[in-house]
Amino acid sequence: MANKNKKFIYGIYDDADAVIHTVEKLRSQGVDVHDCYTPFPVHGLDRAMGIKRSNLTIGAFISGTIGCITAIVFQLYVMVGDWPMIIGGKPNWGYFPSFIPVTFELTILFTAFGIGILFFIRARMIHGKVEDLVDLRQTDDLFVVAVEEKEHRFDKEAVNRTLIAEGALEIREREYNK
Amino acid sequence: MSYESPIRELLVTGGKTAGDVTADICRPLEGKPTKLWWLGFTISVICLGILVYTLALTSFIGLGMWGINKTVGWAWDITNFVWWVGIGHAGTLISAILLLFRQKWRMSINRSAEAMTIFAVMCAAIFPLFHMGRVWIGPVWALPLPNAFGSLWVNFNSPLLWDVFAISTYFSVSLLFWYLGMIPDIATIRDRASTPIRKFMYRFFSMGWNGSARNWARYEVVSLILAGVSTPLVLSVHTIVSMDFATSVIPGWHTTIFPPYFVAGAIFSGFGMVLTLLVIARKVLKLEAYITIGHLDAMCRVLLLTGSMVGLAYITEFFIAWYSGVEYERYAFLNRMAGPYWWAYWSMMTCNVISPQLFWVKKWRRNPNFIFFMSIVVNIGMWFERFVIIVTSLHRDYLPSSWVMYSPTPTEIGIFIGTLGLFFTCFFLFARFLPVINMSEVKSILPHSHNNEAESVHQPEVVTH
Repeated sequence: MANKNKKFIYGIYDDADAVIHTVEKLRSQGVDVHDCYTPFPVHGLDRAMGIKRSNLTIGAFISGTIGCITAIVFQLYVMVGDWPMIIGGKPNWGYFPSFIPVTFELTILFTAFGIGILFFIRARMIHGKVEDLVDLRQTDDLFVVAVEEKEHRFDKEAVNRTLIAEGALEIREREYNK
Repeated sequence: MSYESPIRELLVTGGKTAGDVTADICRPLEGKPTKLWWLGFTISVICLGILVYTLALTSFIGLGMWGINKTVGWAWDITNFVWWVGIGHAGTLISAILLLFRQKWRMSINRSAEAMTIFAVMCAAIFPLFHMGRVWIGPVWALPLPNAFGSLWVNFNSPLLWDVFAISTYFSVSLLFWYLGMIPDIATIRDRASTPIRKFMYRFFSMGWNGSARNWARYEVVSLILAGVSTPLVLSVHTIVSMDFATSVIPGWHTTIFPPYFVAGAIFSGFGMVLTLLVIARKVLKLEAYITIGHLDAMCRVLLLTGSMVGLAYITEFFIAWYSGVEYERYAFLNRMAGPYWWAYWSMMTCNVISPQLFWVKKWRRNPNFIFFMSIVVNIGMWFERFVIIVTSLHRDYLPSSWVMYSPTPTEIGIFIGTLGLFFTCFFLFARFLPVINMSEVKSILPHSHNNEAESVHQPEVVTH
């Protein structure tokens, strides 16, 4: 990060619609919304904030492919390469259908855990991380719009006015020294 | 695109606000446990003790403590295994398949159903593990490790090994799905926590969640992908369980109808158990506003549908046994119906085929007492289904001189009761420490939250660009 000191203005709302309208209005005024904090996924908010579709799906596909290939290669190595088992006179090579269930399960296992782990990395979440909250009730029933105070071309008064006009219950400021 | 008919019932009744949802769902977690909770928990722990005792008997003395013999090598243990795995199917069905179908009524029942899935699969895993005899080395045999016991590797041609992969994948993916879905709710409890120990524990498991809209957007994509992969997974698990039987050459097992028939049966029994638990839980935890009569009604319809599919499968099996002209196959089925285990067969038919048909009557679908009774009937019926398939197919094999009868020993009965104890102990702990209803999802379907308003009806649920 270039700026060491980051300043934020937070508008606190009790209505999901107000949050969407605030974000739309701020963005139409050319103010970037840093983030919003909501107790539940507010549909349409990501569109209003201009969040692009997450590319975690690509990660899921890649990890699933790795799982699929791992399963096939491993089973062929075990059953054909390393120690062919002749059971009931069944051929090992060319007995591929019996490898499908395990391949299928491992593909799913890798996909699920791949996207799960990538999500935690991307969302910067880890067990025991201390939460960064604006208000304790943002996980209960309050909604927060966070605007970063930029050094240049930032009209703090206008932002405050917009936040209030859209029905903010409270406006807070905070500075991060990191 | 989602379409909602204007006459559809409210999913959450009583005009709740988001704050009410938090307060209602967190109340059982934050107060002192009730006497009823202590009573149920104590009984469950006693049953869990029976499990430990009977499993110790099995381990120290050996499989001779069970009633299985040379002819009937699989009996109560595998019956219970399949029964528990089946019960474990409703959770993922509700959370994954109903998510893909945009069924919003899933939202207040998915959490407890998923918890049930995980606990049921834990119970199921006990049976094959202990049936391997020496449980302390059994898991080593089941894992794909080079070993010195006979062959050098596990046999990937064996459906029993497929089962190891299917069940363990199912368990771990369900656990991930359940946990991921719970993180925002754990964060909610964290932010309400009043004691340092609670704060510490819920902080640890909430992973720093703060409800950021950027993370919500990713979270929804992850949920959708997990639902997408869990759907074929849940169907594959019981398919592979059924292959344990279907790939063998035992008359009565060797049928191609098994995979779909087992999957339908699993969903049937899973919903049976979900109803058993939720009819009580909504009363005890005072969640009638969230798990409404409408929810029970919807689940009864699933019971009716899957019960009819199971009934169709039973009849198809009989028809094919006759139509195939295979003497052994015909005998196996006649023996089921009129042999020494006729009572098990007819219990199964009554509980699974006839009784769900009562749910055609709307009044009965909306009567919690009747539903509770029926859910027990379904649980019993599905247990008998597995018993019938497994024991009656085995006890009279190709060689009449080896025909025997099977009856369970007290140890086997003890293990079964014990797994019920394990299941309910886990469920009572879950209801005590974790939110039984997905708060964040339920908040999003409240009538006055943005998501249910007219304008969002025209948008897909997960907004993607």
